[in-house]
Amino acid sequence: MDLERELQRFISEHKDRIGLVSMDAPLISNLSIWSNIALIRQYHQNMPLNEAKNIALELLSRMEMEGVLGKRNSALDPEERFCIMLLRAAMVRDAILVLDRPFSILINQRDGAFVMDALKKIDDLIAETYIFDYSWAESCYEANNDQ
Amino acid sequence: MTNNTEFKVGLFIIITALLILASIGYVAYKKDVFSKTYVYTLSSTTGENITEGTPVVFWGFNIGQVSSMELTDSGVLVQIKIPERNNRVIRAGSRFVLEKPLLSSSRIIVYTDNLNGLPLQESAVPELTVSDDINELIKRGQSIAEKLDMITNNIASITGDMSDPQGDVKRILKNADKVTALLAEKNSLGEMLMGNDESVRSIEEIIKIALDIAERTEEITGRLEALTQEAGEQLYGGEGILTLVREILDELTVKLAKVEITLDNLNKTSAETVDATEDLSLLREDVDETVSAIRNLVDDLDRMIPFKAESEIKLP
Amino acid sequence: MIKTIESIGRSSINIFVTLRATLLLAAGIILRLFSRRAYNSASRMVFINQFYFTSVQILPLFLFVAVIFGTMVNGMAFQVIKNLGLTDYLGRLLMGFVVTEIAPFVTVLLIALRSGSAINAEIAVMKVNRELNTLKIFNIDVIDYLFVPRVMTGMLSMVLLSSLFSMTVLVTGIFISSAIFGTSVDDYTGILLKSASLPDIVIVLIKCATFGFFITLIPIIRGLNASEEELTSIPVAVLNGMVRVFIAIVIIEVLSSIIRFI
Repeated sequence: MDLERELQRFISEHKDRIGLVSMDAPLISNLSIWSNIALIRQYHQNMPLNEAKNIALELLSRMEMEGVLGKRNSALDPEERFCIMLLRAAMVRDAILVLDRPFSILINQRDGAFVMDALKKIDDLIAETYIFDYSWAESCYEANNDQ
Repeated sequence: MTNNTEFKVGLFIIITALLILASIGYVAYKKDVFSKTYVYTLSSTTGENITEGTPVVFWGFNIGQVSSMELTDSGVLVQIKIPERNNRVIRAGSRFVLEKPLLSSSRIIVYTDNLNGLPLQESAVPELTVSDDINELIKRGQSIAEKLDMITNNIASITGDMSDPQGDVKRILKNADKVTALLAEKNSLGEMLMGNDESVRSIEEIIKIALDIAERTEEITGRLEALTQEAGEQLYGGEGILTLVREILDELTVKLAKVEITLDNLNKTSAETVDATEDLSLLREDVDETVSAIRNLVDDLDRMIPFKAESEIKLP
Repeated sequence: MIKTIESIGRSSINIFVTLRATLLLAAGIILRLFSRRAYNSASRMVFINQFYFTSVQILPLFLFVAVIFGTMVNGMAFQVIKNLGLTDYLGRLLMGFVVTEIAPFVTVLLIALRSGSAINAEIAVMKVNRELNTLKIFNIDVIDYLFVPRVMTGMLSMVLLSSLFSMTVLVTGIFISSAIFGTSVDDYTGILLKSASLPDIVIVLIKCATFGFFITLIPIIRGLNASEEELTSIPVAVLNGMVRVFIAIVIIEVLSSIIRFI
């Protein structure tokens, strides 16, 4: 409960720049994957559809996930879902990236290597990154936490 | 996909919006929304049966409509709007009659005898008279019937005068006989002149009688001439009373037929849909009253018309 | 006794609260319709997709229904008019009944059944899946992004499709009146024009837009009333939404008739 309260407080403090990756902020199910990513810039920066789509495509190719372009949320595996959520969060301008219990999304992962790899690929788009997780999960990140 | 969708959506919106705009534009154009309109004010003693939108009709064509009405101390001012293209029929001599047909909505009929006359000034306030369709027709028919009655009486009196033993014609004839007999009694005028006092009195009497005959003949001839030219014309001429009576009868017959058909249809409709409503029963009463009024008039006219055959003018 | 009074009071408060929320949301949406922010690229995309599914995709079926309906209604009405000897009323029947009453009614039923229910289910699913929460976290206003484009689609679709329906029925009428009365196209057009009234057309267009507003607003509100993470609340939300849409259609129909005939 403390963790959730802390997270809510943090989100409210950085409301305008928050890029949340969380099970509480699922992908929009009636939008395709690229639309989910493009949506943030289309809405906040009024970016034309094609331009936003190209950025989404470029980011997907960084993640080597061009194949999921037209898929929907329900068709993704947990790793793909995590990456798409990460890309969507990275679309926020000067994003303060918040990973809320990433292992609740990455149910098949045992350590933070996957998370760190994914973060490295979009490093240029993110201003700050915060991971909120239970204390007992700290060990999962230790081996890979070089940030 | 999205570009394709955008194209289809855009195409649909453009085509349908254009169709709607074209339709509305066409209706607006035909309704003279874009053309200049002239507003005339008519004065009426009543606002009954006139509403905003009441059509203004000329020769059966809608040429405008009532745009507004205003109650004043002296009656009702009715404003009519006439589009520019129809304005040529509104002249200074135009008459405006509110017609209240029994089975449809009211309308203002414009009568213009001279289409080349001066245009009606917008500041002028001509009178709006009221016509009551069938009732008006009945009134017209009755007035003609009264006129006809009068002429019939005149003719009867004239013809009676001619056959009356104390009448002018008989007197003329009698005097003429007398003159002839006197003339036969005296062989010649010279003989009379050279005769006795009795002969002189006879001559004086003959002159007096001759003058009297001349005067009365002139008078009777005048009356007969008046009878044949005026009454005859009024009776049988192109615009004679009988012709008018016939026209009215025809008109009434048509109206009667229409009223009967409509009544039948109304009966049918009310029987098929709902029980007679208050409106329908009122309408039926109106129609029944009208039918009865028309039949009475027809009977009246039927009684008057046979006079033609009976009352022949027999000249002496 | 006290419980009955409490129950009446509770129901009244619920009705008041629901009505207040509905009116506030309606006012919010109407205000946003005139806000530039509501016309961003994302909202435009939602509008285009929604409009495509509501109006363009349905078009072949809609035109088919309009032609069949036009033939049927015109045929029956013209025959009845002819039998009753009321041919003078042909124009009034077409303009006053088909264009102003039948066309909006058929269109609103078709759109409500197809798109109203879809919007209701869509919003309910988003609510259950907490996708509305996602939008909130990313500072995406649900009114701007979800509601305004849908309401706009409803209003525009109703106006366009209803007009298209009227035009189709009137064009069908040309053939029917020619077959039954032997009327020429010019005479037929003249009869229609005589009965056409611009104020009536304006009222019909406003009526269509009002229909469109409510047959999208009500499903949105009912969809928002679904419970989070409770899948069974989705069909309940759709059911309630559609019943209320039907009631709204009847109310608007009655109100518009009152306005027209006053």
